[in-house]
Amino acid sequence: MSRNAGKLLLAALLLAGGAPVRAADLYIICNSQVSLDEADVRELFLGEKQFAGALKLVPVDNSAAQRLFLGRVLNMSAERYSVTWVKKSFRDGINPPGVVGSDAEALASVRRTPGACSYITTPPTTGVAVVGRL
Amino acid sequence: MRTTNYAPAMCARAWLGAVLATGLGLTPAARAAEDDKARIAELEQKLDESLKMIRELSHKVDALEAREAQRTGAAAAPAAAAAAAAVPAGAAPVTPAVATAPGSAAIAGPAAPADTAARVTQLEETVSQMAANAPQHPEDRGLAMHGFADVGAGTHNAQFPQYQGADIAELDFFLTPQLGAHTRALFELNFEVGANGDVGVDLERAQIGYQFSDALTVWLGRFHTPYGYYNTAFHHGQWIAISLRRPRFIEFEDHGGTMPAHTVGLWLTGSQRLGDQKLTYDAWIGNSQRITGGTLDMNNAGVPRGSVMFGGNVGLLMSGALDGLKVGVDAFQTRIENQDVAPPYFTQVQSYGTYAVYDTDRWEDIAELHFFRNTDLTGHTGQHDSHAGFVQLGYRAGRFTPYARYEKGSFDQSDPYFAAQTDGNSYDREALGLRFDIDLSSALKMELAQTRFTDRYVTSYGEALLQYAIRF
Repeated sequence: MSRNAGKLLLAALLLAGGAPVRAADLYIICNSQVSLDEADVRELFLGEKQFAGALKLVPVDNSAAQRLFLGRVLNMSAERYSVTWVKKSFRDGINPPGVVGSDAEALASVRRTPGACSYITTPPTTGVAVVGRL
Repeated sequence: MRTTNYAPAMCARAWLGAVLATGLGLTPAARAAEDDKARIAELEQKLDESLKMIRELSHKVDALEAREAQRTGAAAAPAAAAAAAAVPAGAAPVTPAVATAPGSAAIAGPAAPADTAARVTQLEETVSQMAANAPQHPEDRGLAMHGFADVGAGTHNAQFPQYQGADIAELDFFLTPQLGAHTRALFELNFEVGANGDVGVDLERAQIGYQFSDALTVWLGRFHTPYGYYNTAFHHGQWIAISLRRPRFIEFEDHGGTMPAHTVGLWLTGSQRLGDQKLTYDAWIGNSQRITGGTLDMNNAGVPRGSVMFGGNVGLLMSGALDGLKVGVDAFQTRIENQDVAPPYFTQVQSYGTYAVYDTDRWEDIAELHFFRNTDLTGHTGQHDSHAGFVQLGYRAGRFTPYARYEKGSFDQSDPYFAAQTDGNSYDREALGLRFDIDLSSALKMELAQTRFTDRYVTSYGEALLQYAIRF
């Protein structure tokens, strides 16, 4: 009886945990040497900010989470983002961010590259600084 | 006292109950044994499922390792293949006991997960290394080269109204080699059709710079003179602009522009955050221009008589409710030599300007106004005042962007600076246009315009223009 009750309780907990469909969290991550605020992140990915003190910043786009990032942080469409960087590049000679294809690649890139920042949807473990969570 | 002897009846009932319970398997001992059996069966089932998952993971690890070994040509490939071959297909890759006797897996179980975990960890490291190598250092990416091109047709040539029909306008390459964390470079090489129909080549921008910080970048070379907004926001690739062409008075020099669009010299630029706003600033000094063949020339090789142009531009980029709005002022001074007359004529040109831009997802609205106070240094005709400006409104509606522009140049014709230029006559122009983005890299633009010349020769003409512009 107690075992059945336990199973029922476990099933109820699982259902309760999964019932409301949550939008994915977005984690803005940077190399551990970097210290930025949310406004800086926006400027970084629009090409308006390239340095944090003496450290050259390296934005890295993560195509797996880009739609979420563009909507929540930059508040622009992918097309507009692309055009923004074309103009930035043409006007100021700044190349657009490099692109990786997954959270794992984004994490590896940020861990390895001084000044790098990116965004992922899986909770980061160690080795990176979480600048923001949205 | 009388007693009742219940013992035999109770005994019988107890035996009956025991028989019944035993038959139904409900004795406490039987119940416990049944529970244990069920539990064991359940555990065995779970173990079978786990073993199956381990086998599947192991196969995947083997496949990934083999692929990695193929890619790197490492010696580990044969070892991995040998290890894989040693494991019977369908069996857990660790101990035969697990594969042959599930019931005894409780003994051999811990060895399988540990070995697989180690291999998965190794695989993770390999994938991390592969991923880390994928985005290369910017200096290792090679040369980033992009370009623009546009062709057109119309009742007049958009830049040279004396022509009609189809035209090839330009093919523009720009290169932005990444040379380090601080060194920047930008080169813009433009193949364009000139007023005589010939294709000429211009090194429109050739600037090498050093970025100290976001607050300061120093450029040396040939750059777009940073007055107003339009001249540094839009360069030679027409795809990048909403409109089909530049306002007439700020056209490039070889297209009849009356302001020095290019400077060869030194340019300091940067920005600083001021609370929620952003302050932008530019300061430059460079070779004075000259007038030759009725057009301005930027003296790429230097100036023979040491004249300089210098100027500055300060802007404020708003945020919050005014996000997208930028306002600013600019000024420059230069000494222009008119080499079309002998002896050459000199004019001191002073320009003061103001501008406002509202650039959002929906709107791109630009307004500029420039005042000129020029001094005739040779003919002693004194000072001459002129002005020019434009207002352009553009509304982004999906792939369609309609725009409207009004521009006016009111140039004192007794001012030797404007009088010497072929297109230095006063005018005004209204234009209505539509840009259609075929895709992210190409656009069709159509424009209807009416231009009126109000001095030198008073005339007007209408235009219907088409442009196909691309970027790559």
